[in-house]
Amino acid sequence: MRIKIDGIEIDVTSGETILEAARRAGIHIPTLCYHEAFGGQGICRMCIVEVKEGNRTRLVASCTYPVNGEIEVKTSTPEIERIRRNIVMLLYRRAPNSEFMKRLYEEYGRPADITPADPEESCIMCRLCVRACEKVGSHAISAVLRGTEKRISTPYDEPSPDCIGCCACAQVCPTGTIKVSTMPGKYEIWNKAFEMDRCESCGRPFVPPVILEHVRSKLGPEFTEEHLCPDCRKKKTGKIMADSHMSK
Amino acid sequence: MAGDIRQAAALQEMEQIIAQYPAERRYILAIMQDLQKKFNYLPKEGLQMTARHVNAPMSTVYSMATFYKAFSLVPKGRVNFKVCDGTACHIKGSQTIINEIYQCLGIKPGETTPDGEFSLETVNCLGACAIAPVLVANQKVYAKVTPAAVREIIKEHGGQINEPAVNE
Amino acid sequence: MSQLSMNNTAARTILVCCGTGCQANGSMAVYQAFRRELADSPGTQVHTYTKSTGCNGWCEKGPLVKILPDEITYCRVKSEDVPEIIASLRYGTVMERLLYRDPVTKQVYRSHRDTNFYKKQRKVALRNIGEIDPANIQDYLDRDGYNALRKALTMPPAQVIEEVLQSGLRGRGGGGFPTGLKWKACAAVERTPRYVICNGDEGDPGAFMDRSIMEGDPHSVLEGMIICAHAIGASAGFIYVRDEYDLAVHHLSRAVEDARKHGFLGKNILGSDLSFDIEIVRGGGAFVCGEETALIASIEGNPGEPRDKYIFPTEKGLWGQPTVINNVETWANVPVIINRGAAEFASIGTTGSKGTKVFSLVGKVVNTGLVEVPMGTTLREIIYDIGEGIQKGRKFKAVQTGGPSGGCIPEDLLDLEVDFDSLTAAGSMMGSGGLIVMDDRTCMVEVARYYVNFLAGESCGKCVPCREGISLLLETLTRICEGKGRLEDLDLLESVSATLQQAALCALGRTAPNPVLSTLKYFRDEYLAHIVDHRCPAGICKELTEFYIDPELCTGCGRCRRKCPANAVAGEKKQAHVIDPSRCIKCGECINNCNFQAVKVK
Repeated sequence: MRIKIDGIEIDVTSGETILEAARRAGIHIPTLCYHEAFGGQGICRMCIVEVKEGNRTRLVASCTYPVNGEIEVKTSTPEIERIRRNIVMLLYRRAPNSEFMKRLYEEYGRPADITPADPEESCIMCRLCVRACEKVGSHAISAVLRGTEKRISTPYDEPSPDCIGCCACAQVCPTGTIKVSTMPGKYEIWNKAFEMDRCESCGRPFVPPVILEHVRSKLGPEFTEEHLCPDCRKKKTGKIMADSHMSK
Repeated sequence: MAGDIRQAAALQEMEQIIAQYPAERRYILAIMQDLQKKFNYLPKEGLQMTARHVNAPMSTVYSMATFYKAFSLVPKGRVNFKVCDGTACHIKGSQTIINEIYQCLGIKPGETTPDGEFSLETVNCLGACAIAPVLVANQKVYAKVTPAAVREIIKEHGGQINEPAVNE
Repeated sequence: MSQLSMNNTAARTILVCCGTGCQANGSMAVYQAFRRELADSPGTQVHTYTKSTGCNGWCEKGPLVKILPDEITYCRVKSEDVPEIIASLRYGTVMERLLYRDPVTKQVYRSHRDTNFYKKQRKVALRNIGEIDPANIQDYLDRDGYNALRKALTMPPAQVIEEVLQSGLRGRGGGGFPTGLKWKACAAVERTPRYVICNGDEGDPGAFMDRSIMEGDPHSVLEGMIICAHAIGASAGFIYVRDEYDLAVHHLSRAVEDARKHGFLGKNILGSDLSFDIEIVRGGGAFVCGEETALIASIEGNPGEPRDKYIFPTEKGLWGQPTVINNVETWANVPVIINRGAAEFASIGTTGSKGTKVFSLVGKVVNTGLVEVPMGTTLREIIYDIGEGIQKGRKFKAVQTGGPSGGCIPEDLLDLEVDFDSLTAAGSMMGSGGLIVMDDRTCMVEVARYYVNFLAGESCGKCVPCREGISLLLETLTRICEGKGRLEDLDLLESVSATLQQAALCALGRTAPNPVLSTLKYFRDEYLAHIVDHRCPAGICKELTEFYIDPELCTGCGRCRRKCPANAVAGEKKQAHVIDPSRCIKCGECINNCNFQAVKVK
């Protein structure tokens, strides 16, 4: 079926979200909690757009609204911009200690003069970290408590036995809130320290055993590679290539 | 030694409660309610067993345990006072009841007396608005509670009352 | 004692109200006393049968004892009164001292039905409550129980849906969505299994009609659900009840068991093709679970977070299957519609809202309790005729409807004919039917703060507008209540409220600013008094309150002096008293207890 976004006609498959269709057509809709890998969450509400269906017009979150009929979409109206400015203001008030939010707050023209709630806070609760952790299969972190107290943590704020130290959460975090502290031969995330195994060849620490175990459990028993750091592996592969070339 | 035995007995009780339910995720809430009723809080071991039983991540179970207000992660007192702070109770003076309990027992909402005897929490409307303000001590509902009645209720449940601070 | 005209040897039924309200007033002791006294004196001339019933809604006058068929209602009965009541039955007399006496006219009422509180009511959803023993299925059967189910099973499912559609029944949980349309949409989805859910997660502070129905007439809810199961082809049903409602959980569980034994639940119900059973799910204590998608998440074993409802639960509900969710009061209306026909039901009410609505009338009103009236009854009739006005002769200020999603309605709208649409137009909403009456001792800014504070703890915390918006609203309102408000705060409140209404994920968030916006609209002068004049006209916000005694009005009775916990009132007997502002802790005991309105707010 065909829909119109900002006057541009786009072919969509039934059930595709407005946001997906717009991105495909190169139309920008701002988002804070969206990632292609996980789909829409409907949390940040930055992606609100106006949908006209027949005579009815309403505001919807484009990341969760599935297209099921002929609609006309506007991605920006004065009303929508007001909402986005307020959302940016509210999130800056929550997370003033994040460069990301500071920049956005300036970009949106410093909407409303407000006092930040907690000057140390930098998390905007987009939950991309939780999605990443779920997708990796660890389920070590989740959103806990509720209402204005809601936050992300491991159970009891203790090092979680389920955490494999993959750091996917830290990589996906837009505000850099999730810290990975590195020390010689180990690193720490979510209060859990990971000692790294050493490379069989050069002896440099390079990967925590839990990650290797996880990878092995995913790839099956046929995966019997040696313990080599990326450098040594590259050297080894190069050597094999060179040897096979030489022998020809 | 005695502590170990108690602990073993508690673990066994948790196992029994959990085993009553099919190993399905939708019974997490019911299991936690039974655990809360039995132990007056949700012991960590109980939540871990629940997660294993229904094959859900511990983070999910913990997320639920902190989301729903019926649950507590720390033990509540032998006598748990719930002061209703629904609208009807609020405009009829639930705050004075909370103040009086603080005067008598030195605890605020969310707190437990050091001897583990009494704890206090505020709850949303209990649906007894016609007899506001309402106080519930364990299961017993008290109607139209006044500060004087609070003192009687505390005594009824075996509490010692601190003499109120003398006004300047 | 006055003489009964009845034959004093007739069989009697003694109904002891054992709803939560009456139990708190000691009704179980009264019930036990009747059982004991009657067991101790066999061979009595009077054949009596004592029953505990559900909530009569007149909780304030409890414990209530009704004697049938004499139609006598005794108020505030104590267990010590029981031997005398039994003796009176033997001698055929009425105990006048236990009858209800109108505090103004001093008129004595023999039956509660004749009092102002009951006269203007029309019981449909509450038809059985207080009349039957909810733990006894036979009582329900004796009053037409499960006849609607029998009738519905002879009708094609589409016809049952049509009947509900024609009745004009709209969801009693708050939204007011037409029930028949919901059923029709669900039945139209091809996938099976389909599910039926009863939303018994009543959470609006100040509302307790659902508790009363689940406690007092659980079978009416079950019957409604089973009829729906037939209409939409559902195989399983769930009743989600607040865990705080112990008695409701108890009575519903008993009702489900009894209904199974009688063949109303289970395989091939009453010999038909319909197989359907009901499970009771205890909620975990979360206001947001009253929202359908959050409730579904909770039943599935997740935190109760709503999702965007661009696809309705009728298409993708519980475990992704087509699901009908209705509220307790809605379900209780269904058997009546099937039994008496859509036309009769639709003859009650207004153009857009049919039937009756149960309200819980509470707060600063003389008669508090559950009130069922036809849609379209005015607020004035409910508060002044049924409720008999404001307590202690104080001045009415506002009535709050719809709980935290609703708003405060001022005096000049008291003639509003209450239905779903009129309340929404007034900036409030029906909600589940709480009516909280407020007087001149209620601060409207503090009321707004109270609701926003409630939602700060009850929002699920998922979407940004709700979690962060409520946090900012609360901070701003608190600032105003503490006397640190600025005029720009009013613009900020309005702007953030608009974002919540437009962009929040679920209905809880979108309606959360209603208490703020309605008070800003109708009571802006109180906000300005706080910000500009630094005073709280109601004398509630401590930082902005100073009490004084008007020497012209003070009789020197000394009541305020004795009540004052801070020794801040001084004065000789029969001389005008004075409040020492430096000692006063602004608790309001003096103003609340003065019988001469002599204590004033500066």
